[in-house]
Amino acid sequence: MQKFKSLIVAKREFLATVKTKGFIFSLILPFLIILVVVLSMGSIPQIISQTPQNIGFVDETGMMGEVRNLIRFSDMEGAKNALLENEINSFFVVSEDYIETGKISIYSRDGLLGSPPTDSIEAFLIENLIRESNLDETFKDRIKDPANEEIITLNEKGDVEEKSGVGFIIPYVLGILLMMVLMTSSGYLMQGIVAEKENRTIEILLSSISTNQLLTGKILGFGSAGLLQVLIWTCSGALMLFLTPYSSLFQGIELSWILIVAIPYFILGYLLFAASMACVAAPAGTMRDAQQGASIFTMFAVLPMILLSFITRAPNSIIAKALSYIPYTSPVTMLVRIAIVEVPAYELLASLLILSISVIVMIRFSAKIFRAGILMHGTNIKLKDVFRYLRE
Amino acid sequence: MNYKILDVWHLTKSYDERIVLDDLSFHVNQGEIFGLLGPNGAGKTTVIRIILDIIRADQGEIVIFGGQFDEDFKSKIGYLPEERGLYQKMTVLECLKYFAQLKNIKRPEVQIDFWLDRINLFNCKNKKIGELSKGMQQKIQLITAFIHNPELLILDEPFSGLDPINAKVVKDILFDLANAGKTIILSTHQMDQVERMCDRILMINHGRSVLYGSLDEIKSNYREPLVIEYEGDLGYIKGVDSINDYGKYAELVLEENADPQEILKTLIYTVKIKKFEMRAPSLNDIFIGVVENAEV
Repeated sequence: MQKFKSLIVAKREFLATVKTKGFIFSLILPFLIILVVVLSMGSIPQIISQTPQNIGFVDETGMMGEVRNLIRFSDMEGAKNALLENEINSFFVVSEDYIETGKISIYSRDGLLGSPPTDSIEAFLIENLIRESNLDETFKDRIKDPANEEIITLNEKGDVEEKSGVGFIIPYVLGILLMMVLMTSSGYLMQGIVAEKENRTIEILLSSISTNQLLTGKILGFGSAGLLQVLIWTCSGALMLFLTPYSSLFQGIELSWILIVAIPYFILGYLLFAASMACVAAPAGTMRDAQQGASIFTMFAVLPMILLSFITRAPNSIIAKALSYIPYTSPVTMLVRIAIVEVPAYELLASLLILSISVIVMIRFSAKIFRAGILMHGTNIKLKDVFRYLRE
Repeated sequence: MNYKILDVWHLTKSYDERIVLDDLSFHVNQGEIFGLLGPNGAGKTTVIRIILDIIRADQGEIVIFGGQFDEDFKSKIGYLPEERGLYQKMTVLECLKYFAQLKNIKRPEVQIDFWLDRINLFNCKNKKIGELSKGMQQKIQLITAFIHNPELLILDEPFSGLDPINAKVVKDILFDLANAGKTIILSTHQMDQVERMCDRILMINHGRSVLYGSLDEIKSNYREPLVIEYEGDLGYIKGVDSINDYGKYAELVLEENADPQEILKTLIYTVKIKKFEMRAPSLNDIFIGVVENAEV
């Protein structure tokens, strides 16, 4: 019977969370953002980017025969008038001494929106320059497109890593998802603990259940709410993706393996963050105090995301490996690495082992802090008190 | 022989350097209404929290229901904390159901209906807690302490914030529960309530026991001097320990077992009595006296 009490608490916290306006809004918000982005995609680029159709040029050298969708003006006056009449967004002048100096002047009105159309201008100039040369066609093609890159990663033995292609999207998506689960669920947990302190229900609860049962129930309840939130995001996100032409990009990526590894990392990662947040929230009097204390854990969670481009470029570097052993950063880091390179099994096991031990230690630690701190009001917990609570 | 439902031995607790409970011992008999008294900050709430195993004592032992504290005992205890609160966004029914389930009541609907009816709030069953007045919320909170039919009730300031009508409703409920054999520990600083309701009391100040026992015993120990106004010569009076004589007015301190009735008889034969006043001190007077003495 005692065990069920945690489930009763979990059920209440779950229902109380998912019924809040904030939760429902957070489910809809990403889709509203996507909708706005998709709807505006059609119109925004036309405003910002300088398409060839609205770039003009004045050729003072007389050698630019190839027009490439640009609008030719015979003199500055004509080009200026067209710019002032808004017929074009900008124009450039190929000066007489262009061959010697390479000088190009770009004119626009009220400054350019976005970056200057250098790509279009350069392509136009290269086209015209090679047309004048006596090079053969393949050589001309190479000048137009000098680097057709392929990125190859070597593992420790010097063998070529198989994974490549669009794999780089997966770690970003996984990392962001995992971080969101960790942050939202443990954030809800923290709110829930502080709210119960603020509305003074905590003492009635503790006269019915133990602090451990209460903490367990809360961790389960808020964890489920956070998981539900991210599941809904993921499923709807995936659904939207499959309805777009981009779905073919994701074929052939070993999602199943990544997902299997993601499950223990999700569970252990959440437990670690939840227990840590509980430690901070229990002695805090207000949500603001709690958030201040929680910011250090938030930083840990965000760290792999800040270093994400570094981790994706050098997934086997010392920093990436170190981050995949540190308990707070390991879930996100490891998932990102697995998506990019073949991580040896022993590294994976060691990382999971460290994480599991940290979870066990942290939960015991937090149960004691929770017990000692939950009835405090308005007093700040001191480090020496922490050691005393742990001894009790 | 009374069965001790709660036996507290040499409880000590301190926060940092501050001693909150200092070698406190007492017991509570089954079926009695026991008053736990003391000024604010005396340590009453700390005692209760230690009894409920919400916090731990530094030293001392508690025997409850004949044994060491067990999590299962929590469903035999009903508790109304002094710091009150309910989930403001839940309905009365949802909230009471939740607390009842935590006390191992699987289907608490019948009890909820019964108690809501008893405190005249049946029509508020489906209202949100936040929509109720403070007094109503306090009555709802009382139900959370009764709902699981506990053997031991620990109520911290149950009358504070209640108007006289609601205070009477609560008092009647408490007497009914006591008559049904429930044990009630009443922690309060409202002496008049205690005086009318409690069988035995423990008064603590600065974490120490300053008065402990049945109300009758305590009151007889705190008898005030007998005051008389008279004409004549007092002389020796049997049963009187000392006399503070002003000629026409005197304060007589009686011997421990002296009967005021006998002294009055003696006095009638020796002097002409104009006033004879034997005042039993109120618990309030004793309380103030004890607390003030401790602070001198």
